[in-house]
Parts: sequence; structure tokens; C-alpha cells
Amino acid sequence: MTTEVLWWIFAVAIVAVSAGVVFARTVIHSAIFLILSLAGVGAMYLFLTIEFIALVQFLIYGGAVTVLILLALMLTRMGIAGRPEPTTGVQAPFGALVAAGLMATLIGVAVSTAWPGDLGQNAVAVSIENIGEQLFQNFGAPFMIMAALLLVAFIGAIVIARQEDED
Amino acid sequence: MSEFPFADPFFGLSWLDAIIRIVIVVLVMTLVVVYLTYGERKVVARFQMRLGPTRTGPIGLLQGFADAIKLLIKEDVRPRNADRWVFEFAPYLTFIPVFLVLVALPFAQDWGVRNLALGMFFVFAVLGLNIVGVLMAGLGSGNKYALLGGVRAAAQMISYEIPLVVALLAVAMVAGTLDLNAIVGMQDSRPFILIQPLAFVIFFTAMLSELHRAPFDIPVAESEIVGGYFVEYSGIRWSMFQLAEYASLWAFSIFGSAIFLGGWAFPFGEDWGWGWQLVLTLIKSLIMIMLIFWVRATLPRLRMDQLMSFCWKALIEVSFALLLVNGLFLYYDWPEPILAAVNWVGAILFLGGIYLRAARKPSTKNLVGSYKHAEVPNP
Repeated sequence: MTTEVLWWIFAVAIVAVSAGVVFARTVIHSAIFLILSLAGVGAMYLFLTIEFIALVQFLIYGGAVTVLILLALMLTRMGIAGRPEPTTGVQAPFGALVAAGLMATLIGVAVSTAWPGDLGQNAVAVSIENIGEQLFQNFGAPFMIMAALLLVAFIGAIVIARQEDED
Repeated sequence: MSEFPFADPFFGLSWLDAIIRIVIVVLVMTLVVVYLTYGERKVVARFQMRLGPTRTGPIGLLQGFADAIKLLIKEDVRPRNADRWVFEFAPYLTFIPVFLVLVALPFAQDWGVRNLALGMFFVFAVLGLNIVGVLMAGLGSGNKYALLGGVRAAAQMISYEIPLVVALLAVAMVAGTLDLNAIVGMQDSRPFILIQPLAFVIFFTAMLSELHRAPFDIPVAESEIVGGYFVEYSGIRWSMFQLAEYASLWAFSIFGSAIFLGGWAFPFGEDWGWGWQLVLTLIKSLIMIMLIFWVRATLPRLRMDQLMSFCWKALIEVSFALLLVNGLFLYYDWPEPILAAVNWVGAILFLGGIYLRAARKPSTKNLVGSYKHAEVPNP
């Protein structure tokens, strides 16, 4: 009962701050709303008793959104803090198109997939040992391929960002 | 659920028990913070051949309270071009993560707020959120110095989080668990600093950086950017930043002493009951705090480019190598003394390397970033 009430409070809060991400007038405010939204999702994972995923959510997105704020700061011209910035341009309809497409895909996949531990089935308790074993033994190759991909992206980012001398 | 649950909840109610425990911990924390500010001033003053506070109360013991009262009645100023809500919420956002960390710390064998099975991971995850508050303070103040401080702090904290986490994971590999209470329980015969000294060195360095303590205090450097991200704050909000800073100093010290120095575990397998365990936890955390003050009073501040290259070119590589070595030893079940010996060699080489780097004449060639343009250009 208590969990259910909390669940609804968090659900409403997540939707509200997500609306804040979209409607905030400055990109910095959007980013701050985004971290609230992601933290809310993390709390949702706690209600589902998957603490590991919840903590990963906090750990990864805490840093990621900070980097996002830094990038937003560097890529957009910040005027005086809190002053609204122009948020629409020629790319607006394309952005809307991509967003709608992504939303349709995600909803379609979520609804059509038969998830283990779905309504009516028993919930699966996932322990950290289990995750570790799956990741490093059964799915070792995809894990390493993904690591290599991230490494390539990382080196690429450094090469692009590095200020080389003209000479 | 954890292997080592704490004692029965107060009044049999889980939520009431949680509230009572967290209130106790927060009250103790506030007292500790007041005396940490006093202690730091006193210790650093002695290092610099001064006396430190002596006037308020006997040998200045009430100085912290006097400062707290002064800060509470000071006017709370908000700059006109500050971003109002970002500015006002930033102190709370730096403070909440520290509060959350206190939840997971084991103060005695069967006393703490909650014993989490993923305790160590919880501490990393929650401490990472600290950056957001710092960055918000820097951005929201509408001040260039605050912005610089905030951005510097964010860059530094994100970078140093990696060696911090990897070094602690190396210890967790040896311990075989992430449960802080279980990790402490394993150290009743020997503390982990004896078998993982290199991890301790990396952890301690990265911790100094996460806490913005000298020599990694460029985000809050008074002489360079007049105090960094909290330059526009005054009165109660400023004191919240200070409270968060010292509280995280204390929380980190207890966390570090639990993992490396054995927290509440007595050496040589003795046990004198939970009261002495509490005393032991506090003594061990005080050792960590004194080390931090000592480093602060001894070492000069690093430059921004030195700071980043030290993290990315030295600490991260060494911590990954440590993880690899630990993995090899654990996979092939090689004996623990050899693991410890390899770690000691690594720690001595690492510290020796740093010492040699620092002792030799500094090079001004091949500086990166904005420091390249530090020279006056030819007309």
C-alpha cells in the first residue's frame, strides 16, 4: 500500500519534471530537470527491488548529466544566467519527427515483447553475482566488443577535441 | 538482504527505526563538523607555527559554535543576476548526497543506519551526485569566478571518480563482497591497507581531489578564483556548503577507514564490545582526517593541467594495472602474502615516481591547453 502511494507520487513527479525538461526556457534548466527525472527513474528501480540497476542509474547519469551541462555550456552561448534562450530553429520539425519516431519504436517494443517477470508471472530477483556471471562469462564476447567500441569512441573524442598546433 | 543484519529495529517499526538512527547520525555529524573546522584551524595553525583560535572558550574550543551563530544571523544575499532557483537549491543538492552516504556507513558491528548488501557501490553512486550541486552553484551564481570554479570542480570530480572507484573495486575483489560491514568484519586479523597499500594510495589521492582538499583545491582556490563556486553565497547557504564539505570529509574518512584500516574491527581478532568499536571507528577516521590536514599543510596547490594529466596519465593507468594484478592473483589463487608484496612494491614505485617527478626541475615545455598561451606573444 505504502509502496503503491509512493509509486504514484514518483510517477507524477517524473512526468512533471520530464515536462520541465521540454518546456524549460534555458538549456541549463532542461539539464537540471533531466537529472531530477533520471533520479526519479532510479527511485522507481528501488521500488522494483533492483537496487543494482538503481545505483547504476544514479552513478552513470549523475556524471553523464554533468557532462551534458558542461557541453551545453560550451556549445550554446550562455547569456546572463536564467535569461530565456531561443530554442527553436529550422531543425525543430526534424527534431519532432525523430522524437515521435523514437517514442513509437520504444512503445512498440515495450508492448510487443514478452518480458520475463511480466504481470502475472513471478518477479525475478537479480543479484549482483548473477549479473557479474552473465556479463563476464555467458556474454563475455559482446561485453568486450562493447568495451572496444567505447574505447574507439573515447580515442576518437580525444583526437577531435585535441588542439593541435598549426605547424 | 545483507549477510550481517544490524540489531533489531527500535520499537519494531522499520521506518521509525530508520528515522531515529538517521537523526542520531546527523546530530553526531553536526557536532563532528563543528569540531572539524576548529580542529583543522588548530592543526594547520600549528603546522604554520601559529596558535590558531584561542579566545572563544578554553583553548578556543567554542570557536566552531561562535562561527555557526555568526553565520546563521548573517544576511543571506542573492545576486540580482543569479539564476534564482538554481542558486537557491544548489546548497541542498550538495548536501543531500552526503546525507545519503551516512546511511550506508558501518559505525560498529551491529550499529549503523542501514547495512546495505551493495554498500560500497551505494557510496560511489551517491557521491557522484555531489557534482550536480557544485555545478549548479557555479552556473546559477551569475559570476564568472563561480562559473570557473564550478566547471573546474566538475571536470576534476568526474575525472578522479574513475581511479577512486577502480581502486576500491580492487579491494572489493580481494574482499569478495561489496557489503561494508562484511568488509570490515574480514579485517579482524589484518587491515586491508597491509595487503592493498597501492589501492590505499590511489584512494587517498582521489579522495583528496573529490573533497577539494589541498593540493587538489583549485576549484575553491581563494587566491586564484576567490573561493570558486560558492563565492556568491553568504550566511546560512554558505555555511551549508561548508557543512557539506566537512561532513563529506568525515564520511569519506569513515568510509576509507572502514575499507582500509578495518573500521570497527580490533586488530589481532580481539573484541571489547560495541562501545569500543565505536571509539575505534572514530579513532581510525581521525587518523584519516589528520592525514588529510597534514597533506593540506604540506603540499602546494597543483595547476589545472597538472591535475588533469596526473589523473588521466598516472592514476587511472596504475589503478587499472592494480585491478588486473588483483584479478590474476585471485583467479589463480596465488597466496595472499605475495599479493601484498606485489602491492607494496607497486605503492613504493608509484610514490617514488611522484617524488622524483616533483623533486626535479619543472619543465615549461609542452604545456597543453590554455597554459600554452601563457607567454606574452611577440608584437
